[in-house]
Amino acid sequence: MLNNYFSPWSEIWRRRELVALLAVRNLKIRYKNATLGFVWSLLGPLFLIVIYAVFLGILRFAIDLHILIVGIIAWHYLSTCTHDSLHAVMGNANLVRKTAFPRLILPLSMVLANTINFLLSGLVLAAFLMLRGVVFGVEIIWLPAILLTHLAFCLGISCFISAINVFFRDSEHLVSVALMAWFFLTPVIYPVSLVLDRDLPSLVTYAYFANPMTGIVSAYRTALLGEPFPFFRTALFSFAIAWLVLPLGICFFQRLQVRFADEL
Amino acid sequence: MNPEYAIEVRDVAKCFKLAPQGGRTLKSLIVDRARNWRHWRVSRDFWALREVDFHVVRGETLGIIGANGAGKSTLLSLLAGTMTPTTGSVVCRGTVSSLLELGAGFHPDLTGRENVYLWGAILGLSRQWMRQRFDAIVAFAEMTEFIDQPVKHYSSGMYVRLGFAVAVEVDPDILIVDEVLAVGDAVFQRKCLERMARFRKDGKTLLVVSHDLQTIRSVSDRILLLDGGRITGLGRPESVLHTYERCWRKQFCAEQAREWGSGEAAIEDVAFLDETGKAVDCIEAGAALRVRLTLRAACSIQRPVIGFSISDIDGRVLHGSNTQMGNRQIDELATGKTVVDLVLRRVNLGAARYLFSFSVHSEDHRKQYHRVDNAFPLTIDNPAPFEGPVPIESDWEWETL
Repeated sequence: MLNNYFSPWSEIWRRRELVALLAVRNLKIRYKNATLGFVWSLLGPLFLIVIYAVFLGILRFAIDLHILIVGIIAWHYLSTCTHDSLHAVMGNANLVRKTAFPRLILPLSMVLANTINFLLSGLVLAAFLMLRGVVFGVEIIWLPAILLTHLAFCLGISCFISAINVFFRDSEHLVSVALMAWFFLTPVIYPVSLVLDRDLPSLVTYAYFANPMTGIVSAYRTALLGEPFPFFRTALFSFAIAWLVLPLGICFFQRLQVRFADEL
Repeated sequence: MNPEYAIEVRDVAKCFKLAPQGGRTLKSLIVDRARNWRHWRVSRDFWALREVDFHVVRGETLGIIGANGAGKSTLLSLLAGTMTPTTGSVVCRGTVSSLLELGAGFHPDLTGRENVYLWGAILGLSRQWMRQRFDAIVAFAEMTEFIDQPVKHYSSGMYVRLGFAVAVEVDPDILIVDEVLAVGDAVFQRKCLERMARFRKDGKTLLVVSHDLQTIRSVSDRILLLDGGRITGLGRPESVLHTYERCWRKQFCAEQAREWGSGEAAIEDVAFLDETGKAVDCIEAGAALRVRLTLRAACSIQRPVIGFSISDIDGRVLHGSNTQMGNRQIDELATGKTVVDLVLRRVNLGAARYLFSFSVHSEDHRKQYHRVDNAFPLTIDNPAPFEGPVPIESDWEWETL
């Protein structure tokens, strides 16, 4: 099991050029070589932000715009990774059938491409927040750790989904439904305090934080907006689970990848 | 483990799981199992390869032949490392470049240049190394003009040319060529063959799969014959190709044979007899042959015509005649059995296998009583070496002017 986790990495490091090229290819194809390509990729989250800001306003559910924006941008990264991972292996069926290279490179390069996209939108977000007069506090030193955890978690999930989709072609439907439920279980369009202020039993709180995205999204808000951080222990629990998903996802992927070429 | 071997395949078997109809889905996994939990069977086994064991020496060219579905592509996928064998082991020493479906890995939205670099990276070559090779690749593919166009605008010929150029110019230790010479125009084909010859001369290992037996005979040092997932022949090209042609022809003859008729008369038996009256299935060129037909008529037939023809293995008729053309009028085919002999005084044909057809029909050719096409094979031995079915005595004369 552990061997599955460690064995591909030296080969992947040797093939880092391929990882980079595939990541660039993913971005190029997404932007279709258009100069404004990246701007288009910002449209999705922007649209979500406008919709939720307007509708939550109509519903008189007061949410701070900054909290909403940070939540949506962070969520968007996971959601694009999840959607793209459905095609990470399937969409490269030709490569898998015809050439030998560590298959883990496929989800890895896809996640890297999305990470670049995410970091760019992060820069836009930071500029926007500064324009709105947000002053970043000392909490921002947590940002690299949060980013890394977010990346690890997205990679782990992508490994799971990209491998499953090779064997079960209808997993796409399941993924979109699950993603929608997940969206509401995560404090994306509401602050985490909404849940924590209810004095829930600690078991329920832990269950709520068992979703790594809960910890990650609220940590982003703390780091960027100085929102009060949820209990340190529950957040740590959240992060620990995120870091557990990564090796599990990779082991799972490695177990199934030997049969990819047979199935495609 | 001999380091002289570029490729070692040890007792390899490959099993595919055939999914039940409709493919496998999460829904079927849950619903079908719940519905039929007592005896569900997810998949059936299909053994594409069994007991495959061989090696290729460094610098050797191995041709792989076999009918469709014999397991050639599976074997190549195992060698290219895209599939893992169910049992046994495959070892390739050195970099492997495969031409399994040329250009299959190209992405239509990327330009030719981007695809070349991507392909190099997939083969595990550094960008710097690719940069040095890039001009040679473009030159070989003859597409300086279009290299910065997205490959979706390429013609299929350009696709293949670029694919071949990349696979060859990256200078691998082992090159796998799968049925690629069937595409591209004649000029490019010759260029590919020349490039492959140079590749061999450089002491590289080559694996070639093709249905074109002529090509494979000329490029291979040894040939591997696959049939039903097993190795049925491995050795010198001539001997393996002989085995292959024999077994292929047997099947081919059976497929070519046709039979129809109204049924009033039937050709019950056909026997080839030599001069001594012994039944044979092979005669020497130039010898006499007597073909004994046993006919059975259900009712009396007035003025029947009996015909025959000889075809080569490709179905071309080489000779045909009948009792009418031969001025032999049969007045009546009486009810019951009749024996008719066709006498061929000198069967002079090139060495090959030929197929006989026979027919019994009415005088005006309107009614076919019974006709059996290409069902009776006869092999002819000819010690004289020449090509084609027709022996013509030829000689050469020359003088220096």
